[in-house]
Amino acid sequence: MKYMRRSIPVLGICSAFALAGFSLPQAKKPQPASPIDGATVFKARCASCHGEKGQGGGGYAKPLVGSLSAKELANFIGKSMPPGPKKCPAPDAEAVAQYMFDAFYSPLAQERIRPPRVALARLTVKQYRNCLADLIGNYHPAKMGGASGGLQATYYKARNFDQKTKVVDRIDPVIKFDFGNAGPVPDQYDPYNFSILWQGSIEAPDSGEYEFVVQSDNAVRLFVNGPQPIIDAFVRSGNEKEFHAAIKLIGGRTYPFRLEFSKATQGVEDPKRQKEKPPGHANVTLLWRRPKESLEVVPSRYLHKEYSPTSYVIGTPFPPDDRSMGYERGSAVSKEWEDSTTAAAVETANYVATHLQELARTQDTDKDYREKLSSFCRQFAGRAFRKPLTAEEEQLYVRKQFDSSPNVETAVKRSVILTLLSPRFLYREVGTGKRDGYRTAADLSFALWDSIPDQQLLDAAASGQLDTPEKVAQQATRMSDDPRAWSKLRDFLLTWLKVDDVPEVVKSQKLYPEFSVSTVTDLRTSLELYLESTAGSDASDYREMMTSGRVFLNSDLGSIYGYSIPQGAGFQPVEMDNGQRVGLITQPYLLARFGYLETSSPIHRGVLIVRNLLGKTLNPPPSAFAPDPPSLHPNLTTRERVTLQTKPEMCNNCHGLINPIGFTLENFDAIGKYRVRENGKSIDHSGYYRTKSGNLVKFAGPADLAKYIAESPEAQSAFIEKLFLHEVKQPMLAYGSGTLPKLEQSFGQSRYSIRKLMADIATLTATKDMQ
Amino acid sequence: MKSRREFLRDMGMGAAMFPFVNNLPSLLVPPFSQRKQRLVIIFSPDGVIPNTFWPDTEGADFAFKESLSPLEEFKKRTLVLKGVSDRVRGDGDNHMRGIGCLLTGTELFPGNVQGGSDTPAGWSSGISIDQEIANYLQKTAATRTRFSSLEFGVMVPERADTWTRLSYAGPNKPISPIDDPYQMFNKLYGQLKDQESLKSVLDDLKDDLAKVRAQVGTQDRQFLDEHTSLVREMEQEILAARTTNVGHAVPVIEPGVRRNNDNIPKISKLQIDLMVSSFVADATRVATLQYTNSVGQARMTWLGIKEGQHDLSHEPDTNLDAQAKLTKINKWYCEQLAYLAKRLSETKEPDGNGTLLDNTLIVWTNELGKGNSHTLEDIPFVLVGGGLDFKMGRSMRFNHVPHNRLLMALAHGFGHRIERFGNADFCGAGVLTGLS
Repeated sequence: MKYMRRSIPVLGICSAFALAGFSLPQAKKPQPASPIDGATVFKARCASCHGEKGQGGGGYAKPLVGSLSAKELANFIGKSMPPGPKKCPAPDAEAVAQYMFDAFYSPLAQERIRPPRVALARLTVKQYRNCLADLIGNYHPAKMGGASGGLQATYYKARNFDQKTKVVDRIDPVIKFDFGNAGPVPDQYDPYNFSILWQGSIEAPDSGEYEFVVQSDNAVRLFVNGPQPIIDAFVRSGNEKEFHAAIKLIGGRTYPFRLEFSKATQGVEDPKRQKEKPPGHANVTLLWRRPKESLEVVPSRYLHKEYSPTSYVIGTPFPPDDRSMGYERGSAVSKEWEDSTTAAAVETANYVATHLQELARTQDTDKDYREKLSSFCRQFAGRAFRKPLTAEEEQLYVRKQFDSSPNVETAVKRSVILTLLSPRFLYREVGTGKRDGYRTAADLSFALWDSIPDQQLLDAAASGQLDTPEKVAQQATRMSDDPRAWSKLRDFLLTWLKVDDVPEVVKSQKLYPEFSVSTVTDLRTSLELYLESTAGSDASDYREMMTSGRVFLNSDLGSIYGYSIPQGAGFQPVEMDNGQRVGLITQPYLLARFGYLETSSPIHRGVLIVRNLLGKTLNPPPSAFAPDPPSLHPNLTTRERVTLQTKPEMCNNCHGLINPIGFTLENFDAIGKYRVRENGKSIDHSGYYRTKSGNLVKFAGPADLAKYIAESPEAQSAFIEKLFLHEVKQPMLAYGSGTLPKLEQSFGQSRYSIRKLMADIATLTATKDMQ
Repeated sequence: MKSRREFLRDMGMGAAMFPFVNNLPSLLVPPFSQRKQRLVIIFSPDGVIPNTFWPDTEGADFAFKESLSPLEEFKKRTLVLKGVSDRVRGDGDNHMRGIGCLLTGTELFPGNVQGGSDTPAGWSSGISIDQEIANYLQKTAATRTRFSSLEFGVMVPERADTWTRLSYAGPNKPISPIDDPYQMFNKLYGQLKDQESLKSVLDDLKDDLAKVRAQVGTQDRQFLDEHTSLVREMEQEILAARTTNVGHAVPVIEPGVRRNNDNIPKISKLQIDLMVSSFVADATRVATLQYTNSVGQARMTWLGIKEGQHDLSHEPDTNLDAQAKLTKINKWYCEQLAYLAKRLSETKEPDGNGTLLDNTLIVWTNELGKGNSHTLEDIPFVLVGGGLDFKMGRSMRFNHVPHNRLLMALAHGFGHRIERFGNADFCGAGVLTGLS
């Protein structure tokens, strides 16, 4: 039964993939009920009136579309077509109905033959949250980025952060201290009476719920993104030594952070009384659990010494977006979504009402209080709609609300609610109107940031600075340096590598006792650092990402994977110049994640590479297969076992493609550790791939494969297409058939800079239909 | 972490609006019309002046002294209990234990909060009686309310420590009172106001949706049509909820009262008025009202008193000026109690079952018996109203009885027949007798 416990449940049990030539869903071939060819009948007898494709013609102008079933349609034709006394015989009617149904009549057929276009889309949930954070943030501007590496720490030789008792200022990379029964520096502090203040900001790499944990025997108070503590244990009581609090954060942003620590009694200050007693223990550790990860000490790379203002994070939960195309898109509305947008609009209106005077920069004692509030509402709606309000819109969204409300606070609430429920906010740029600077600004900001334009972009739009592709490209370049752009790119890379939909990476404790829950979090960190150092670098070179010999290891990972990293040194880049590990596909996280409990999985590894990196379409297998457990063939290697099980002809269509790719990574076991032998036999890491253009490429191990993925135009195009969809959330062909070739060309010209590619995609889509 | 549905429900949104609507004043009289019962606990700090507080005699024939004189109008509905003691000991000074054990009847945990004497302590190690009763009432549909309890405060310092917390949801779970009347107003009526705002913009929204629809291509209209029909559905739900809301008058409260010492009388009145409204709406049946904190330092300038209350309370008995001022101060607290009693007595039960005061018991208490001795003997317990079938209109004297027995009597008054509460050592003799 143990083989039923798999780390990857769905994909792994497939072994008969069907290979399709292209990615659009294909029409099911009509099963001819009779030898009569419907298409011929239609052409000969119907097309003269109805048009060649049923689009309507001289005799009958309306297109032939509808909701009858093929049978009903045949019935109708048999009774009423053609006009005149002689009707179509039943077999002909059936054949022609089936043909029409499949070719153009049915809603499905209509969907299929519709040319790709930029469809109306609502904001995705991610976009919605970002927009609100930036909408509110426009009034107390958020600072993003800045150097990480630790928090500003101030140490005091008294209990309460009194400047007069300050001993030292310094940067603490992480908060993990055990002072024992003494002070931080024994002769500078009374052992029973000192306090520490850590301040700065904390960066959230991903969106979601963060659980903070403070472990301490002493008085502690934690503030994250707000003036109210999320953990208040300044009163110590009983035996609690660990405090938890969860808070929602949006990825790619930094939040104000403050941790107060005091080793002293609180309440009435009485040092004499304290001196009479033994000093007791002093310790404090700050940990967190990132969304879906395990508990870890908050790493220094997420801690900044600079202050950051509070960000607005919507608390209302939303139903997830459609991801059926491999990226999130706002393709439908639902009751749940309507409930959520309404609740979120009310939540935001209440937030605005509570912070009104600071947001609108006015006091209720000001003479022009009402005027300032209505001007605030006008600006709020303008930013939400990504363009200044027309007179008509201003009348509806602002003036009318102020004229009809009992007081100005209510008017502001109503205006904010109406703005946030408006289709002008909730939908990506609506209307068939011409492209103008504001539309271009919004196209850029949604493509690069998944959010509304910033002030600079709006100013550029207002002053006609977005009217040529060159000027648009300049803005796109500026914007791609913003941390929000990296956040979106990082999000793409993790989605593309299927990191985010991983259930849990679990390994056999018998075979890999050193592989624990924290190893998985460390491995994920290692992958993230790799992506940052390649895709996130200035060069952002796709080829480097595919072929770099770098791996990031801390001491724990080092001891598992056989490298010596000093304890406490944190993550270090290790360059593997022996060719054992080359590029993204050999990053230990991916190898472990695409592997089984006890063995590697060439199939999972192969599928990831064939589908996502090489861009071939693999359909899921017609039915599920459980993989043969290793114990069934104890003398075989994984390669031999997989080959044996996928030998049948029906498997070979896809596995002939998948396996030889996966086999090249057989030097890496279930946890991604390098090996040269398995079951006493030498590893065979040879493989091959037949390209889309039909050439056979042979690989001798991972380095060859990595090099091929880096340099193959097919793989590069696949990467461009996937990034495009994630960024724009519309089909590429809707921007013209020249889009891909243009991007391929500019990708090469930029020395394969991924960040430049991202900017180019944004520019290209934001200049569509530009005069 | 809340689920989406719970969150929406808390926001009073969508189809999930109904649990909220159900808690507005019910138009249906329950089939077995058991009367509503309510409990209000009022806390004021720093002890009392015994000479001007306790009646000289026992029984129905007693006279109020100066401190209790505002209750004259409600004498027949008042029960004064002398001789009830807080006998809980352990860590913490008397002010800390005075408030922390007052409603919990059990010790404070060891901790890091140092008082003026004794050992440092933390939070209480048990639930408080108001929460115990609130939980009991929430268990049964007939007595369940939108809020299990409401904790009102008046100028409670903005720091969480043993001296500022009266109610506990459980061991180490102090509850922060809400001392901002506007925050309390929002808690009570915010959703209703939000619904109104929402409702008022939906017509405008539909108008603009129609305009936008006309601007998009035909292929995209279906999308906006679906959206429009969802907005209509939302509107229907709000309308449905509003019909059920008829009869619930949202109180209009004085705007712009800032939180400062000199506004204590105004804040006190606002809080009492909101409490009465919450009872009319049957939003809760258990409430506490906490004036400042244990060791409270209100400066009752409106009575011509410049000193802080706690400083005055340390003055010896021989300081007659201080005695007179402290008497005035306690009389002022008693006036607040009398104002609450008056409002309750003037307000009819929505179900026609007498007045609110007929079904509410107010308990006024303090963390100390006497300020300058810090004694936990003779803790003031002044009860007003007909909530618990106690025999009112009396002055009773006990001899050093643990207050745990009185706390149990409060629970029993609600039909919650607990056999111990807090430290079991003080519950041996059972529920305090002679009250009914």
